[in-house]
Amino acid sequence: MPRYMVEREFPQGLEIPTNPEGQKAMLGVVDNNATEQVTWVQSFVTDDHAKTFCVYDGPSPEAIRRAAGLSDLPVNKISEVSVLDPYFYVGATG
Amino acid sequence: MLLERESLLGSLHDHLTAASQGSGSLLLVAGEAGAGKTSLVRGFVESLSASTLVIQGACDPLTTPRPLSPLYDFAADPNSGLDGLVHKDKPAIEMFSEVLDRLRNTVRPIVMVIEDLHWADEGTLDFLKFIGRRIAESRGVLVCTYRDDEVGTDHSLRPVLGQLILLQSTHRLVVPALSLAAITHLAQDRPFDPADLLSLTDGNAFFVTEILASEESLPASVQEAVVARVSRLDEPSRRVVEAVSVAPRSLEIGDAATLAGASLDDVDTALAAGVLIGDGRDLRFRHELARSAVEEALPPARRFGLHMSMLQLLEEERSLDYARLAHHAIKAGEAELVIGYAPRAGREAAGSGSHMEAAAFFEAALQHADLVAEDEAARLRVELANELGIVDRRTDALHQIDLAVDFYRRSQDEEALASTLVPPLNARWRLEDAKRFRDGLQEALTILEAKDPSKDLARAYLVSAYQHMLARRGVDASRDVAKARDTADSVGDTGLAWMIQMLEGTISVVVGDNQSGVRVLSDTVERARLAGNIDDEILGLMMLGSGGGEVRRYDVAIPALEKAVDHGLAADQDYLVAYTRSWLARIAFELARWDDAVDYASLVDRATAYRKGIAILTGLSTLGRVRTRRGDPGASALLDEMVALSHSHELQHGWNAICGRAELYWLRGEAEKGLDLLRPAYEEALNTDSQWARGEIGFWMWRVGAIDGPPEGAAEPFALQMAGDWSAAAQAWRDIGCPYEEAMALADGPEVAKLEALDTLDRLDARPMADRVRHQLRDLGVESIPRGPTKETLSNPAGLTSRQLEVLRLIAGGSNNEQISDELYISKKTVEHHVSAIYSKLGVSSRLEAMRTAAEVGVFEK
Repeated sequence: MPRYMVEREFPQGLEIPTNPEGQKAMLGVVDNNATEQVTWVQSFVTDDHAKTFCVYDGPSPEAIRRAAGLSDLPVNKISEVSVLDPYFYVGATG
Repeated sequence: MLLERESLLGSLHDHLTAASQGSGSLLLVAGEAGAGKTSLVRGFVESLSASTLVIQGACDPLTTPRPLSPLYDFAADPNSGLDGLVHKDKPAIEMFSEVLDRLRNTVRPIVMVIEDLHWADEGTLDFLKFIGRRIAESRGVLVCTYRDDEVGTDHSLRPVLGQLILLQSTHRLVVPALSLAAITHLAQDRPFDPADLLSLTDGNAFFVTEILASEESLPASVQEAVVARVSRLDEPSRRVVEAVSVAPRSLEIGDAATLAGASLDDVDTALAAGVLIGDGRDLRFRHELARSAVEEALPPARRFGLHMSMLQLLEEERSLDYARLAHHAIKAGEAELVIGYAPRAGREAAGSGSHMEAAAFFEAALQHADLVAEDEAARLRVELANELGIVDRRTDALHQIDLAVDFYRRSQDEEALASTLVPPLNARWRLEDAKRFRDGLQEALTILEAKDPSKDLARAYLVSAYQHMLARRGVDASRDVAKARDTADSVGDTGLAWMIQMLEGTISVVVGDNQSGVRVLSDTVERARLAGNIDDEILGLMMLGSGGGEVRRYDVAIPALEKAVDHGLAADQDYLVAYTRSWLARIAFELARWDDAVDYASLVDRATAYRKGIAILTGLSTLGRVRTRRGDPGASALLDEMVALSHSHELQHGWNAICGRAELYWLRGEAEKGLDLLRPAYEEALNTDSQWARGEIGFWMWRVGAIDGPPEGAAEPFALQMAGDWSAAAQAWRDIGCPYEEAMALADGPEVAKLEALDTLDRLDARPMADRVRHQLRDLGVESIPRGPTKETLSNPAGLTSRQLEVLRLIAGGSNNEQISDELYISKKTVEHHVSAIYSKLGVSSRLEAMRTAAEVGVFEK
């Protein structure tokens, strides 16, 4: 299944409370993803919480968008990505 | 006893219980040859009480399977209540409906069995699809066995299973290999090491029992085990076994004895040895693996002789089972008889929709073309070509046509020559091969025009008009359809009247006055409906839908396409449904309803549509264009593939991909790369009378800078924009309902128009074009450029998301799902999802309750 980097912008900043409500919100995202066969692998968030970079596995960019729509998450850009591991090159020349 | 099959049996019984309560199912029992599928099904059937009716059928390992063979079996069973089921002249769909009615209108549940689906003919696969899709609401369980290891990617069963398995009412049961424990149990009194047995047989149930029945050391293969067992029989009873081995399914006891020149005692000996089983009337092998092992081990002369005797037996019985007669004739190497039976089997197969089998029979007959009179061979070639064309073996089909044409030229049979050169109207595959057929058609016209007006001449004009219509050459198409009408009138041929009117309407829609064209086409659809001619009605709806879509008459196109989908689904016309949905996708794309476009495009099943190309071409080009406009990955690979595919199709089907690819280059700042694609398409468009081809292809030529203004006859909105009137263009697009194109026109205007364009593009999530407009605004020195679409974070009253809140507010305002979908530019499916999420979060079950509760928790106060 292809892997995608999904960029999302939150101009007012993304705040997820660390309480049952926050937990519920996160699990809701996971449930919605499942209906589109999309898996949220992990995310990176900027210091100002205004932007996230999310790694997703999914069947197509359309599935990523549908899943985001169900959870009401913004999608600013989707790129298809693959792993580039620096250690892969260690020793490759000698 | 069935070892390690309890859970499968339990599952079969569970589904039967559900069926007896009115929810039927299709059960696909999979496993390799010899895994024990048949034993499982027999075990199940034997465990049933008399309150369940069992109807059994099978597909046969004939050289070419007999069409609808399981249905013949159902009809032959006196208890099935289906005795009048099969009849030569009865349309297959009627037979299928009768079986469905049988499963629905019954008080006691029915278990219907079809064995060995991997040998099924096309007609039986159609039956499977028909019943599989409708069995949920019946008291029937259809149990089908098949060898999953023999169903490779090219197997015709594969796409059918792929579709059926997605249904809630379809379940796949895999018969597993026997475990070491089971083998140990079975081999407890025998001198074999269970571990050796497992590694030799891989747990194959038939192989294991076959070895356990043998007396010597371990045989190397299952075939060897079977042959060794047979060789231990005495001479006469071995001949009985050999005779039964040439009968693909079973052989009557008396016939077996006659064929073998043996007595009934010898039959008993063979039965006692456990190689054969009998039901008091027929003899058969315990397993097809055993039958084929014995048949293949026969010395050739003996095998030919037995097949010949089988043939004589069938002839004495005056059998009309041409597939079986042809099978034995082929196996006996009797060319004369193959020539006699195979064409009849071919015609029978063609009549029941089994075109692959029909082609195989005609090919078998033509293997011996040297023994047939040349004119007879030519006739067979034309028949074969028609079947090959339907199953999309176009190259082979054209070769056969060439050979037939060649003969008719040599023998100076002008009538047959002309008739062969003019394809029948339903042979769309020949029409679509336009370039190649133009010459042949011309030759036919020359011959026919020199004679008195004839039906063939009327048909030739009609075919010619159809071809010109496909290529969007309006003048030529109109001229030829008028000639077709005059000729048909003068010879009093009314059979073509409907087709002529349909074509006149279509020509007007795509290259003429679409108002009057729509009127004419709607009228032909209505006439077909009143006449009860479903195929004509569907064809008319398709022309109205795709033609109307092409000229952006969405008001007539969408309802026509939706109706065509309904009809197509009801009649299992999968290809038609795929093509229709591809058009609904294209229209949704043009209306900037991306989610809907994606939904429709994803329903264009690649497996169904690959043969004809244009459904895939239309659907996937659209998907590529959605990705282009949303800036999503995967657009270029998809569009490149579609551009390549477009070269083998008419411009009308290809320009969507070509313009999409050019647009992607343009959005990425590499506009000049699109020129190589656009130029030839533009030249071609100028040779057509299609305003929309000239308009859209011309527009991208203009965007790239290859032309300065609109070509003559370009569709109005494109022409206005190319002429520099962005404002009138924007208004024209707004009138048609294409917001993205409207925004593209506004983006050509000054600051205030660009800001309006940006607003639309942000709302549509059209990032690449929005980025472009932002860039232009920045260059103009505009300071307050909107940041783009923003969404609030996750919490809202009652835990609703902001989108759900929007939906709830619209519900409160009295909007239905369709209006909400229009308002928010999301698909109906997504609206439904939001509505059900709202209900569950608010703990309500109706719109009214939702509104009341929403007001209570204060969702509107924000």
